Amino acid sequence: MKIPERILRSVEKPARYTGGEWGQILKDKNAVEVRFAFCFPDTYEIGMSNLGVRILYDVLNARDDTWCERVYAPWVDMEECMRREGIPLWSHESGDPVSCFDIVGFSLQYELCYTNVLNMLELAGIPLLAADRDDTAPLVVGGGPCTYNAEPIADYFDLFMIGEGEEVIEELVSLYKEHKKKGFHKEKFLHEAANLEGIYVPSLYAVSYQDDGTIAAVHPKYDDIPVKIKKRILTDLDRAPYPKTLVMPFIQTVQDKITLEVYRGCIRGCRFCQAGMVWRPVREKSPEVLDRAAKVLADATGYDEMTLSSLSISDYSCIRELTDELLTWTDERKISLSLPSLRADSFTKELMERISTVRTGSLTFAPEAGTQRLRDVINKNVREEDILRACRTAFEGGKSQVKLYFMQGLPTETNEDLDGIAALAEHVIDEYYRTPDRPRKTPGVTISAACFIPKPFTPFQWEPQCRMETLLEKQSYLERKITNRKIKYNYHDARVSRIEAVFARGDRKLSAALAEAHRRGMRFDSWDEHFHYDRWLEVFDAVGIDPAFYANREFGEEEILPWDNIDIGVTKAFLLRERHRAYAAQPTKNCRESCSGCGADKLGGERACCPSLKK
Amino acid sequence: MLSEPKKVRVKFSKTGSLKFISHLDLNRTVKSAFIRSKLPIWYTQGFNPHPKTVFSLPLSVGTASLCEFMDFKMTKEMSGDAICERLNAAFPAGLHALAAYAPQTKFSEIGWADYEIRIEAVPMDAAEERVREALSGPIPVEKTTKAGTRTVDIAPYGKLLAVKSASGEIVLSVRLSCEEKTFVNPKYILEFLTQKLGFPSERDDYTVCRTEVYFLDGETPFL
Ligand code: SF4
Repeated sequence: MKIPERILRSVEKPARYTGGEWGQILKDKNAVEVRFAFCFPDTYEIGMSNLGVRILYDVLNARDDTWCERVYAPWVDMEECMRREGIPLWSHESGDPVSCFDIVGFSLQYELCYTNVLNMLELAGIPLLAADRDDTAPLVVGGGPCTYNAEPIADYFDLFMIGEGEEVIEELVSLYKEHKKKGFHKEKFLHEAANLEGIYVPSLYAVSYQDDGTIAAVHPKYDDIPVKIKKRILTDLDRAPYPKTLVMPFIQTVQDKITLEVYRGCIRGCRFCQAGMVWRPVREKSPEVLDRAAKVLADATGYDEMTLSSLSISDYSCIRELTDELLTWTDERKISLSLPSLRADSFTKELMERISTVRTGSLTFAPEAGTQRLRDVINKNVREEDILRACRTAFEGGKSQVKLYFMQGLPTETNEDLDGIAALAEHVIDEYYRTPDRPRKTPGVTISAACFIPKPFTPFQWEPQCRMETLLEKQSYLERKITNRKIKYNYHDARVSRIEAVFARGDRKLSAALAEAHRRGMRFDSWDEHFHYDRWLEVFDAVGIDPAFYANREFGEEEILPWDNIDIGVTKAFLLRERHRAYAAQPTKNCRESCSGCGADKLGGERACCPSLKK
Repeated sequence: MLSEPKKVRVKFSKTGSLKFISHLDLNRTVKSAFIRSKLPIWYTQGFNPHPKTVFSLPLSVGTASLCEFMDFKMTKEMSGDAICERLNAAFPAGLHALAAYAPQTKFSEIGWADYEIRIEAVPMDAAEERVREALSGPIPVEKTTKAGTRTVDIAPYGKLLAVKSASGEIVLSVRLSCEEKTFVNPKYILEFLTQKLGFPSERDDYTVCRTEVYFLDGETPFL
């Protein structure tokens, strides 16, 4: 299919839609057995930057029997043209309509993309509900962080892949191919797929509810399918597939550079952080493997920027070796290296010098909370001294701007903790003036505060989110507290955070809300200009759902949680233990100092931090 | 290694998906293609080294071209064919190096360019004559500059070379001025025809392609 050029000329950033980039994979559609449409439910610029998509595009296209193509959510201007002229959603590589693919896979990265998923299915002309799709319709599958609790969107999907997708996606495609050959019978296929480790087929698990709306029980439809779905991990990351080339976008994307994934997981265990729990156990890649992968990608792509990515890069046990190795050739080849997410307590002069050889923006630290007490509650084991010392190092190195990330509305938070945020920012400014060899510039501290969102699979999964009025009060309280003009205070929209909280801890009853939101034309909720809180409230009202039930209710410790049928390795008992330690303001040692028995080690792992996995 | 980096001019075409990328994005695309090609490109010195690539003429997003030029420098001498071969192996489809050589001229010597405008789906009687007639007199168009919008007659800065109507398509060839002060964007011709003759209409698709570039004399193809 060809999109008329006059349409391409009339929309913003037409290169979002043309395909044809260097590095895209073209195949003969008649020579493959499975056609996979990899959909990213947000704009091209965001989707092209996603590491998971890059990896799986490569994994699928490495197979001769499969052709994986990319699909993104059209921006509203293009959507309007498509609807006006009856152009169905198409794939970038072949331009074929998405409805003619065998498997349509969505990467679910954040809850606010759910309305885009529904909108994309509709634009593709694919029935939205899994139950309405027969044997001839494409199989709609999902993966990514949201699938750890995909219940709110479960009715729209045939299956989810839970955990790391590299292996299971291949198993899925192979199984699909087998079934396609002998005549595809969806129910039979799904039954068999449910027995692949890491595959969750929501339609095979019926959920019943109590009168109060909480879950009574989950009933597997067959005796031979697992009661709990175990997440997949790759045990040996050195042997994990990694792309040897990338699709090079014509336009600037969010992460327009080589991303080198250094390790998975996080040794820290902050109690609000879902990524830190669901990626356990920590597994590292060897510096040699990373260096080789980096060279291959630099040669193949022509990118002159590379970033090391992981949850907390300075915790990588071979960071020194790796940067040494990389710097032997990146400098000479004019490739700039960046390190995201530094921790204040491991931020050293040495690391700073290494990264100052390259372009870096302002420095960012994430104390998350304003007082030591609250930092102990959330297990953010970083002290004010660490932060000030790190800032001093940065100032000595010529920096004058610091960005501090905080969270507001954390469990047990009081005004004193908010005062602490303002005080900490002040102390950073003081530290600047106490640093003798500071640069001759006016210092600046930017406080960026998110609202706490209780997430599944964290020790805070039972916690209520503060009510909206409380969140707003906290924000205006802190705004009043900050009087120094060198300190800037930015905060997230509490209304957005509330909707996120509803869907993060949601159950299947919310699928009615998604249907209603879609019916009202809502999409791109993660974009300020398209997010309408009032409309969401109307939607909930229309379908008889109380958003507070999900966002602002303390979930009972005995309660069956919507995501209890997923096994991430980390046990519920551990999460509960951590919750209780939080209330006692007791920090927990990081995984390298000592093991706290979270249970994730049973999944195995090479170069993992767990003592039980050490050879 | 040459003591002085040597200037190279590459003539290239920009078609297909590449039509829809802006000048800035073309620059980025070429920059990464340079690295992939492993050509001995000369980089500026200093904190933020980059290849100093200069392009001949602005080209509107959506317009294809068979005759774009870019100049850059190399630190080693190579044959034109070898340069093209390496570039084409590294270019995305739609970007194609046609020739490479040491430039003898300046981009400021460019005066005119030919465009082919194809308008699909215009069932109209005597379309050719009507186009010819429409373009034979003054062609007043609204030009927007920093100073505001004003009406200009672009007739002196363009001429119709040919017009053909066949199988639901009208094909126009025009030669338009490329000089900075009198630059005529082919979209003005389309806008004028829309006003006068009603096409391209909102639903007609059309394509525009720059087919040749000339020196100031409007006759000698630019090199
Ligand atoms: S098993 Fe122990 S060391 Fe391993 S991830 Fe869990 S707490 Fe950390």
